[in-house]
This record gives sequence, C-alpha cells and structure tokens, in this order.
Amino acid sequence: MRNVLLIAELSLREALRKRLVLILLILTALFVGFYLYGILRLQQTLDARALDAGLDYDPSRGRRGLTGASVAFSAIFGMYLVYFLGSLMSVLSTVGAVSGDIENGVMQSIISRPVSRAQLVLGRWLGFSVVNVVYVSLLSAALLVGVRVITGFTPPQPVLAALLVLLAVLLLTSLTVLGSALFTTLSNGIGVFVLYGLGFTGGILSTIGQLAATPVLVTLGNVANVVMPSNALWLGASYHLQPEYVLRLNELARGANPFISTMPISAGTVLWAAAYALLVLGLAVLAFRRRDL
Amino acid sequence: MTQARTAVSTVSSPHSLTSSGPAISTQQLRKVYRGRAVVQGLTLNVGPGEVFGFLGPNGAGKSTTIKMLLGLVMPTSGTVSVLGGSPQDPAVRRQLGFLPEQFRFQTWMTAQEFLNFHGRLAGVKQGELRARIPQVLEQVGLGGRGGETLNGYSKGMLQRAGLAQAILARPRLVFLDEPTSALDPIGRVEVREIIAGLKREGVAVFLNSHLLSEVEQVCDHVAFVKAGEVLRQGSMANLLGGEVPVEVRVNLLTPELLSDLGKLGEVEALPEDQGRPGVQVRLTRDTDLPLIARAVSANGLNLYALTPHRPDLEGLFLELIDTSGDQK
Repeated sequence: MRNVLLIAELSLREALRKRLVLILLILTALFVGFYLYGILRLQQTLDARALDAGLDYDPSRGRRGLTGASVAFSAIFGMYLVYFLGSLMSVLSTVGAVSGDIENGVMQSIISRPVSRAQLVLGRWLGFSVVNVVYVSLLSAALLVGVRVITGFTPPQPVLAALLVLLAVLLLTSLTVLGSALFTTLSNGIGVFVLYGLGFTGGILSTIGQLAATPVLVTLGNVANVVMPSNALWLGASYHLQPEYVLRLNELARGANPFISTMPISAGTVLWAAAYALLVLGLAVLAFRRRDL
Repeated sequence: MTQARTAVSTVSSPHSLTSSGPAISTQQLRKVYRGRAVVQGLTLNVGPGEVFGFLGPNGAGKSTTIKMLLGLVMPTSGTVSVLGGSPQDPAVRRQLGFLPEQFRFQTWMTAQEFLNFHGRLAGVKQGELRARIPQVLEQVGLGGRGGETLNGYSKGMLQRAGLAQAILARPRLVFLDEPTSALDPIGRVEVREIIAGLKREGVAVFLNSHLLSEVEQVCDHVAFVKAGEVLRQGSMANLLGGEVPVEVRVNLLTPELLSDLGKLGEVEALPEDQGRPGVQVRLTRDTDLPLIARAVSANGLNLYALTPHRPDLEGLFLELIDTSGDQK
C-alpha cells in the first residue's frame, strides 16, 4: 500500500507541477463564470417580463411553470456540461498514465525498483482518480451554488446526481488506465473516446426508439449502455436534477430530449458501472503484469 | 508462445539472497519478438563483486538482456537468477541499481526530489536519504546542483543524475547501460572511479558499453555477444593474456642475436624501417620483455625500439565480430 500511495503522490505532484491543475482551474473558472453570467441574464430577463406583465413576483420563493422550467433546464444543462468536461478531463489527464511513462522511458527506472507493476497501475489510477473526482466535485458545487445564488433554484437531489456523475468519471478513468496499460497513448485516447461516443449513441438510439415505438432501437441502446454505461449514469443523474413539474413536462414530450431522462437509473446499472470500473482496473493490472518495457 | 512462456523459470527465494552466490546466473535465456529471436541461448555467470563487461555490436541484444535481468522484459524461455532470486522479487530489486541507456526521468522534479522519490521507492528511510542524497550528488559531480529542476540539466548532467539514482540505495548489483554516452572525458574518468569504488565496496557491476578502452580499464570479466548469442566470455587476463608480440629494432641482426631471441619466443623477420632491421618476437610471458634488451646488449648491438604489441579488447572485439559475421 505504501508504494501505491507513493505512486499516487507522484501523479498528484506531477499534475500540480506541470500546471495541469492551474490551467484547469483557470479554464474552469472562465467556463463557470461564462455560464453563470448567461443564467444571470436569463434571470434578469424573466424578472423584467414578470414586471412587464404586472406580476408581483418574489424570486427568492422560486419559479414554477415554464419560467421555472427554463431556470431548471439551465441548471440541468449546466450539469451536463460538468459531466462532459469531467469525462474529457478523465480521459485527457489519464490517457498517458502508464503508456506515457513507457514511451518517454521513465518507466524503466521506476519498475526496476522494488515496486510491483500492480502497485504502479493502482497508484497511477488512484492519483488521477483523486484529481478527477476533486475537479468534478468542485465544478458541480460551483455551478449548482452559483445557480442557487442567482435564481434560487436547487435541484431536488443534487448530491445523488453528482455521485452518479462521479461514478461515470471513475469508470472513464479506469477505462483510460486500462487502455494506457495496453496501447500507445494516442490509440488509447481514440479508443476511449470512441467508447464514450458509443454510450452517447446508445442514449440517442433509445430516445428515438421510445419516440418511434421501435423496440429494436431501445434494445440497441441498452446494449450500448452495457458496453459503456457512462451516458446511462448521466441520464440517471439528470433525473435527480429535475423538480416534479419539470419531470411532468418532459413526460409530456415522451422523453424526446436525449440529454435528459424521466426515469431513475436502475440499481443494476449503477452496480454494473461500479463493477465495470473495478473490473477494467483489475484487467489493467493483469495486462501490465506481462507487458515488455 | 504459450509453450515458450511455460519454459521460463526464475529462481525465487526471497529470503535466501546469499552474498556468496553468483550475482547473475542465466541458463539458455531466450527472447523472441514477433518470431525473431533477439536473444538466444544466453548463458552467463557474473560473480559477486565482479565488474562484468557486456560487449557487442548494435542490435546484439545487450539492452534486451539487461531488461530481462531487471524484470522489465519477460524471457520467452530459459532461467534467470539475480542475487540468488528472481528479478521480479521486490527483495531482489531492493538490492539493484540501474542506469538505463535512455536516461529519461521526471524532468519536472529537482535532482533532490528525483533522488528522494527513488530512495523512497527503494525503501530507504527519510532520515538516511537526507544524508545520502548530497553524498551521491557530490560523488557524481552534481554537488550544489540538487535544487535545480532536471529540465534545466544538460544531457551529461542528466546522465550523472541517473548514475546517482543507480547507486543511491547502496545496491549489491548495479546495471550500467552505456553510462558514459553523454559524458565529457572528465566525466568518463569520474565514472570509472565510481565503478572502481563500487568494486572496492564489493558491489557487482554489469556494464554495457561501446567504449572498449573503458571496459578494458575497469572490468574483471567480459562477454562478447552478437545476434543474441555469447561468442566468448572469460576473465580479462584469459582473454587478453597469452602471447605478446614484441617489435625489436637494432642496428644489425646477427645470427647470434637471432639465436638468443629464438630461445625467448618465435622470431619473425620484419621489413626494414628507416634503414633499421627488425624482428618480431612472440613472448609467451610479458615478464620476459627485459630479456630481449639484455640479449641485444649482450651481443654488443644498439637497441632502437622495443615495442610490445599487446592484444587489446578492441582488436579482440573486431576479430570476434568479423569472424562470426561470416557464419551468421
């Protein structure tokens, strides 16, 4: 365990010293600031319209109906961007976790030390997982608190939604570590993004299948969700971000929006995603055990 | 491939790492990449505290062999024993030092941080590292430069830092893969001194170098490899010992002198050089060298040149590689 923590510490220090974290924080601040400014302008427009209509409206009591839905949607889509940025971060930060060190020759001097290959893989995974989880947690908190301060809107179960997004981030981190233990950095990056795309495609196929009452598309979507459950986890998170009246609104649209689900995620899918993350991490350890350096 | 892998065996006795057994022992070690044998049937023995030179042309399989000895590359078949155990065993690795040929390190670290990280990986306690790091930095000529980040180091300085990490944890066996490739002549002398120091401390050194003059100066034993096979191995004394051809130049070659020289070794006539006749005498012992001067003087002749042409590693290397080249 000591060596795992030592390698994890190396990964964290590397992220800090290479200014990965600094650049990320600056860009994230710009993103959050930009998005919240948009929500502020939305809020101001809605208030002005309420006044024009002669409504005596107190924003601190929250909105309902279509105006409330537009505020809720802004929070939900903001969280979708958090999920997307988190996924991007999980892949890009971890893509060379093992392969990068092999390609630049650093690995030889590390592995000739009394550190097992399993400890190296687990240490790299732990280090990058901590960076990614902290990043997505801070980003989620900044966005949801910002929305609440500006609009007074708080999603019904923000913590549960954030936890599902974090599970997706951990799954992508594990998959990227597996790819890094097996392939070159470039091949790994392409491969994981293709898998991520497959999950998203599955969500779209399911939506179309439900709208057009075509069960085969729903089945294809379900297969994609099993192969890559990240999008299913997001859809599960989106359910917990919608207040009751927004859920009713989306149900009326027969789930026509592929970014949002009106159904909670099944416990089986959550368990599968967690098991999947552990399974690919185990495979990463096994794959790296016999790789020639 | 599966069959071949099952043929691999490594000695695994983590608690019986004796100091008297061989530092390295391999039997029929073989590595095949995509159907091509890079190392084939390699059998080596390196004694404890021995400085062993591993020589061969480019592509001979030297680096692959070092990587198999360090557990970085899995052998296809054959056996490997390092310090009496398997190179995969952390207890064995704790006693190894390694300077890779491609000395690439975490250049965002300072040299001190880099050595501290490697020291901790090797299981050295923080207190000991605080004293040991300045010591090894001084030893490799980087004293006072430990606070600088490695990305500001020159290639030679990086190689010195790599050497410092290789000897940091007081290993019992050090692998040096082309340790002076980026060093200036002063750096090369310093590395030779470090190797001599390791030898005095009883540390075995496995040296892979193309600089044969260096190998000749520091190694006890050498092995010549080509196309993954050992062509010849033995002690320096055995490989470079034997007959010493000596060129003798005098003012006159008399039958008496030739008779006296003939008693010391086989005599062969040489063409005149600047009007001075000469012969080559093949001495069986180089301690007989003064006897030639004595014979010339006893015959009342003038001696102009007495030049022993001792065989060197470079000559032997070229001879072995050229000879075997026809057969490959």
